[in-house]
Amino acid sequence: MNKLLVVIKREFLERVRTRIFVLTTLLGPLLLAGITIFPAWLAAREKGSDTVAAVTVVDATGTTVGDRIARALADSLPPAAPASARPTVVRVATADLPAAERAATADVVAHRREGMLVLDTATLAGRNARYAGRNATSFADVQRLQDVVRREVLTARLEQAGFPAERVAPITAARLHLVTTSITDRGAGGSGVGGAIVAIVVAILLYATILLFGQQVLRSVVEEKTTRVAEVIVASVKPDILMAGKVLGVGAVGLLQQVLWFGGGLALVAYVLPFFHLDRQGVGAAGAARQAAQAADATASFVMPEISIGTIAAALLFFLLGYLLYSALFAAAGAMCNSDQEAQQAAIPVMLPLIGSAVFMQLVLQNPESGPARAFAWFPLTAPIIMPMRMALVSTTPLEVALVALGVAGAAALALWLGARIYRVGLLMYGKRPSVVELARWMRQAA
Amino acid sequence: MTELAIDVRHVVKRYADHTAVRDLSLQVPRGTVYGLLGPNGAGKTTTIRMLLDVIRPDAGSIALFGRSNREGGVLDRVGYLPEERGLYKKMQVRRVLRFLAELKGVPGAEADRRIDEWLERLSLKTPEKDWGEQKVDELSRGMQQKVQFIGTLLHDPDLVILDEPFSGLDPVNAQALKDTVVELHRRGRTVIFSTHLMDNAERLCDAVCIISRGEKVLDGGVQDVKRAHGGRQIALGLDRLAMNGAGPAVDAVLADRALVSRADDQNRFLELELAPGADPQVLLHRLVGAGAAITRFELVQPSLHQIFLETVGATGVEAGMSGQG
Repeated sequence: MNKLLVVIKREFLERVRTRIFVLTTLLGPLLLAGITIFPAWLAAREKGSDTVAAVTVVDATGTTVGDRIARALADSLPPAAPASARPTVVRVATADLPAAERAATADVVAHRREGMLVLDTATLAGRNARYAGRNATSFADVQRLQDVVRREVLTARLEQAGFPAERVAPITAARLHLVTTSITDRGAGGSGVGGAIVAIVVAILLYATILLFGQQVLRSVVEEKTTRVAEVIVASVKPDILMAGKVLGVGAVGLLQQVLWFGGGLALVAYVLPFFHLDRQGVGAAGAARQAAQAADATASFVMPEISIGTIAAALLFFLLGYLLYSALFAAAGAMCNSDQEAQQAAIPVMLPLIGSAVFMQLVLQNPESGPARAFAWFPLTAPIIMPMRMALVSTTPLEVALVALGVAGAAALALWLGARIYRVGLLMYGKRPSVVELARWMRQAA
Repeated sequence: MTELAIDVRHVVKRYADHTAVRDLSLQVPRGTVYGLLGPNGAGKTTTIRMLLDVIRPDAGSIALFGRSNREGGVLDRVGYLPEERGLYKKMQVRRVLRFLAELKGVPGAEADRRIDEWLERLSLKTPEKDWGEQKVDELSRGMQQKVQFIGTLLHDPDLVILDEPFSGLDPVNAQALKDTVVELHRRGRTVIFSTHLMDNAERLCDAVCIISRGEKVLDGGVQDVKRAHGGRQIALGLDRLAMNGAGPAVDAVLADRALVSRADDQNRFLELELAPGADPQVLLHRLVGAGAAITRFELVQPSLHQIFLETVGATGVEAGMSGQG
């Protein structure tokens, strides 16, 4: 058998046989599906929590707006809901407001109420109302409270202005749902939020896998050095072949795992998501159900088509190129070290651009067309992560993708060439880690 | 087809700050057990690594079985046991061995058959327990050493290169290694090993090469080397009680600087060094004539250890070197 194949076979089989591989392969799709489904679930969760109505409305407006709000909040509750889940209204004079607030706060602290809503003259003037409660950080709950307060204050103000109550209610009851679609150079397609989620998922996945498998190459090199098995191996096979076999063997594991992850993730999303819709539609009052269905429609339209074969192909291509680039650098770093501790230190300069890519994800996500975002997409060391992300966010031409891929491929070839030289000499060098000058000498020696 | 298993010609290896090997030439005939002797740092490991094309010489040529050692397939006929030994710790013993065999071009099924044979032979596989199924780091150090031997010999190499093979071996494994070397020799294989333990070299080697500071000091068959350095030492045993007053006459013969350049009383016998040009037969004749009662008169061959010390010189010898194996 060809020696390269023998090395690849060992690297591949020894990894695939481990328990950790089986475990990560099984957990990957769950994580992937989780990352995809979670935001969809959040979006569908517009109704807010069941306790959102369990508030004390402290009304210092001297009008009935507090009662209206309480009624509107109680609307979404089932008829059998206990008194503890229903809103209570405390009407006070402006002078007694601080005392009433203190009492209401004490109720929240004592878990008798979820929160308190304070209405005063500023509320009626259309400026603000105040809310304090345990769920003040819940986006959906606050959104719901704000909707109700705004609607009821608007109704009250319209009535004050002389509009008949029976005509005001149907108008203010309108609930508008903003359906978002992103427009790119290719025209409209997919929801904007969907694109961002796919971009983040792909970028995080690429970052994690390139780092994970690059470091496996590092560890594999260091293992052969520290156990001194390298000496026997290089008497049978040339170091270049050994390094190539290592990079390819570990890479094959990475590729297999990614294919299993994507495949499993797609299957999970396809299987779990419809199930999840039915579940959402089955509960809640009629209005809430309609909302959930609406949100679920939006969910369905962005999750499924966006993780397309094209995206997967691009992600895999950039994984392969990025992995080749980084694994060569990791192999060289490993060959310079005599212990795992040393290797962790030597790996840091190699990891910096990778970590940089992760740090700048946010920037690229917020403004993919900005100068720095474009620069990161073109720079070979960050491109493997940022470019696929950019592709999911904005429209890119095939030429741009091809040129970037070519740039990364060129950098990978250079890294493999340099890495092989350091590896060849470093593999049998023990003692202190080389300085830059010594590294240069190694390069010459390996020539 | 050449008769030389190893043919090294004028090899030089320089490093940045020193020359590890200078103008070294070695010829090892097929089927010999060859010792590469020298103090630590003499260039033994560098020489061995060059034989295996792990490092390249700056000048000179290396041929194994008449072909350059850089040619494809040549090194597949070589088995190598490095001084610093180690295996993949987390790998199953059997898989490590199959990997090593496959790297030398042995097909998987054939490798499996040989692995079983070897494991049984070195009692790593018994009816009760098959250590081949264990991971390497679950084996004792001695067992790991055995696995490493197997890895060296699994592809039935024509040339076996052992770098300091006896260092770190327990007595049982050291014996097993000696037996293996003898067995390889019997089957016509060539074995070259480096050592600074002269005892082992003296017992096992057909021929030796002594190197010091990267240079060859002497080489040749063990008997030739001894003959070249020997024949001048005589162990003389005298029964003084049986000599009846002949003592002074005998001592006068021993004090003759034309015959004996040095006499060293070792209590049970005298160690004599013949004067240059002196004939041992003349000495024996003179002693008998003087009335000596001789219990022993033996031309002693010097040990490799003595030759080593003589040629390399005490300065080339580092602490820890001795003739004790």
